[in-house]
Amino acid sequence: MPEFMYANIEREMERYGYDAVVKSHCRMCHGGCGVLVYVKDGKAARIAGDPRCPINHGTLCSKGLASAQLAYHPERLTYPVKRVGPKGSGRWERISWDEALDTIAARILGYKESCGAESIVFGYGTGRENEAVIYRIANLLGSPNVLTAGHFCYGPRIATSIITCGTNPIIDYDHFPKCIMMWGNNVTISNPDEYKGEPFSVALEAGARLIVVDPRLTRPAARADIWLQLRPGTDAALALGMLNVIVNEALYDREFVERYTYGWDEFVERVNEYPPERVEAISWVPREKIRAAARLFAATKPAAVQWGVAIEQQINCADNDRLLMFLMGLTGNIDAPGGQVLYKTPLIVNVGRFGAHHLLPPEQAAKRLGGERFRLANRFAIINPKAVWDAILEEKPYPVKMLFFISSNPVLTRANAREVYRALEKVDFMAVADFFLTPTAELADIVLPAATWLEMDYIGDYWKRHGYILPRRKTVQVGECRSDHEMLNDLAHRIGQGEYWWDTFEGGLDYILSPLGITWREFKEMDYIRGEVKYRKYREKGFSTPTRKFELYSTVLEKMGYDPLPRHREAPESPASAPDLYREYPYILITGARQPGFFHTENRQLPWLRELHPDPLVEIHPATAAKEGIKEGEWVIIESPRGKVRQKARLFAGIDPRVVAAQHAWWYPENKDPGHGWDESNINILTDNAYEGCDPAMGATNVRTLLCRIYPEKAEAGDRT
Amino acid sequence: MKKYVLVIDDEACWGCKTCEVACKQENGAPVGVKLIAVMEDGPSGNGGKPAFCYRVNVCRHCEDPPCAAVCPAGAIGKRDDGIVFLDGEACTGCGACVDTCAERAIAFDEVKGTAAKCNLCRHRVDHGLIPACADNVCPAHCIYFGEPAEIRKAVAEKRKTRVTRHSELSSQNERTVT
Repeated sequence: MPEFMYANIEREMERYGYDAVVKSHCRMCHGGCGVLVYVKDGKAARIAGDPRCPINHGTLCSKGLASAQLAYHPERLTYPVKRVGPKGSGRWERISWDEALDTIAARILGYKESCGAESIVFGYGTGRENEAVIYRIANLLGSPNVLTAGHFCYGPRIATSIITCGTNPIIDYDHFPKCIMMWGNNVTISNPDEYKGEPFSVALEAGARLIVVDPRLTRPAARADIWLQLRPGTDAALALGMLNVIVNEALYDREFVERYTYGWDEFVERVNEYPPERVEAISWVPREKIRAAARLFAATKPAAVQWGVAIEQQINCADNDRLLMFLMGLTGNIDAPGGQVLYKTPLIVNVGRFGAHHLLPPEQAAKRLGGERFRLANRFAIINPKAVWDAILEEKPYPVKMLFFISSNPVLTRANAREVYRALEKVDFMAVADFFLTPTAELADIVLPAATWLEMDYIGDYWKRHGYILPRRKTVQVGECRSDHEMLNDLAHRIGQGEYWWDTFEGGLDYILSPLGITWREFKEMDYIRGEVKYRKYREKGFSTPTRKFELYSTVLEKMGYDPLPRHREAPESPASAPDLYREYPYILITGARQPGFFHTENRQLPWLRELHPDPLVEIHPATAAKEGIKEGEWVIIESPRGKVRQKARLFAGIDPRVVAAQHAWWYPENKDPGHGWDESNINILTDNAYEGCDPAMGATNVRTLLCRIYPEKAEAGDRT
Repeated sequence: MKKYVLVIDDEACWGCKTCEVACKQENGAPVGVKLIAVMEDGPSGNGGKPAFCYRVNVCRHCEDPPCAAVCPAGAIGKRDDGIVFLDGEACTGCGACVDTCAERAIAFDEVKGTAAKCNLCRHRVDHGLIPACADNVCPAHCIYFGEPAEIRKAVAEKRKTRVTRHSELSSQNERTVT
């Protein structure tokens, strides 16, 4: 047989008799990987990576490969439905798109008239490349309230990077960092936005040194030169300790500090409050390891910090992000080849402009929920979820009457899930767009069938900061499913926004691309477009901040009334901050370590992916398990002051005996009760969402570290008898 | 005749299980039947950083396959090119091969009542296509298919630049399938 080569399209077509192959762009997570979709008899028959894509170079992940199993899942919602029984009764009736959108439009116009546009809250979950249209429709309506994950996921990286250095610094994997510090994420099994496991792997194979900061032993941690196993929630202290070493051993880039930073003296004063000895006491990380990591990171050029969401879902969200940026900046790695680059997007109508924030009247913007409390979030049109639940339940500061959630499952993904559930039960009217009747959708009045990435035309990675845009090409149609963009374009016409929208959403795509002088049809013929790549732009223009400098001392936060310098804050429930509670709940609970195959609440009904993780697992150190009488594979109860849930014990020596790690976002689609087991293993039953525990600037909810007790389920059953 | 080889460089594996799903998409094995499986090894070791890695388990396509020898139905055979195949149609479901495989690389399909294992995607290989798990799907690039000497050379080269400090694991991590 002739020689073998990767992704041999011609032979694949011949061997399997496919009718066509379509190049597209996956969105089983936030998007990002180029794919080839082989089509047979009008259906997506095989998914493969696109070897010519500069993002993934032909590789994929388990989720991407299972895309067709999602698209053709027998339980998928393929037409609009309205609820015909009480909330949570599971009684639904098929309706037409016209009836669905007319009903939603009438509600929107009615509530706007009776209670003001602010009483209508639009929402999405994690970024699914629908944010631009959702903000657009909300802003044009006059509602300042779009509820997203932005308060504690990626939004903080955008907000803090804009106020620190102008935009989000993205690792330049193309130029092989020589040292990577992976901090609170595992890019090899999940996707912290721009980054992918493939280029990270290649950088390591090329010889990069590796430092991993993680309370759990991961395979990258096991492979690392240095693993810093910190006490959960002490990232800021650890980063300050490393910066202390870098400052006091003069390991920083002197020219960068002198010419391009703002607030050095005040910053030095602050880091001097965090000598490694003190940081060891806070973080459990031995001082010598703190020093060694700081020296390795600062001495190796170029170096980069591979960051992610875990540091943001804490009380210290904004400061954690800023501190990691300080590590990038002070070591001279910002905007350096192989470091972290402030990439330029191609010349398009950007997400902010498309989102029509400039068309939201100031008097409406002033009504943004929680805006006075979480002022950094407010500037970026981001709100804290509890502010919405309170507005529904307490009608303060005004009533919220309607929710419209698109690709969001907040009863599982937002803290204090029982409160979320009560709010969704109470709200006057709720519309949901999703793939399935999820536990959240089961509480809706109308559910719209959303298209998967296989069924839409869109500009992939539109909101990313790595400078690429890639065409996502509609390959198939499933039932009556519509993309979020098409359904909102249609709805906009029905609520009087027609002049700002298009006949079909292809017009919107043309609008986004118009500054480039191309249309969607022309872009569709291309592989991708990347903005101009230039390094160390700050040497000519400074940084895009008020002082034109890299702001160690934030003039923006100072004006908002916050501490302009970062610091360590204890988690609201920790052995140090709540010693009395710690006696009753004697373990630190961390949540949300990623599982390959799942994307938050998604994919638990896809056989190929569920098979990877049939049950929710909580990791416990063997010594702790022995002490609590817990055996491997046994169901256990995890309990916090908010409630208790069950997961299966996984004995794991890669975690500190004082810490247990539970999985997040679990529900049971196979459970045909309309609740689908939403409160059985849902770790957010345990988490708290009190405002005092949220990041003071971003309103990030702390869902990552709290206190718990843990015991065998059968012990509980025994107690009851 | 040239022998086909599948080499898995376990040291580079991140445990993402993409290969498992790539195999499912290609071979359609039912839930509970894995023709390729990513297993955890560790954490182990006292003092210092524990060792923790993944090992990808798949049929080794043994030189002298014991599974073929014990099959009373003659459902397992070895081709000239080295591929050891299990013919599900001919399998009677006695389970002898499952018990005899020291690598635990043969699964049993309870629904069909037959054994199942990796046939090295012979239906692809015979058409000049790379087996699904090895066709550049792996984000760690740790699964190789091709000419044995070349692959071993490539893996050895990679390990030279790799900074990993687990040299004691290196030699035993590689799984060669010939």
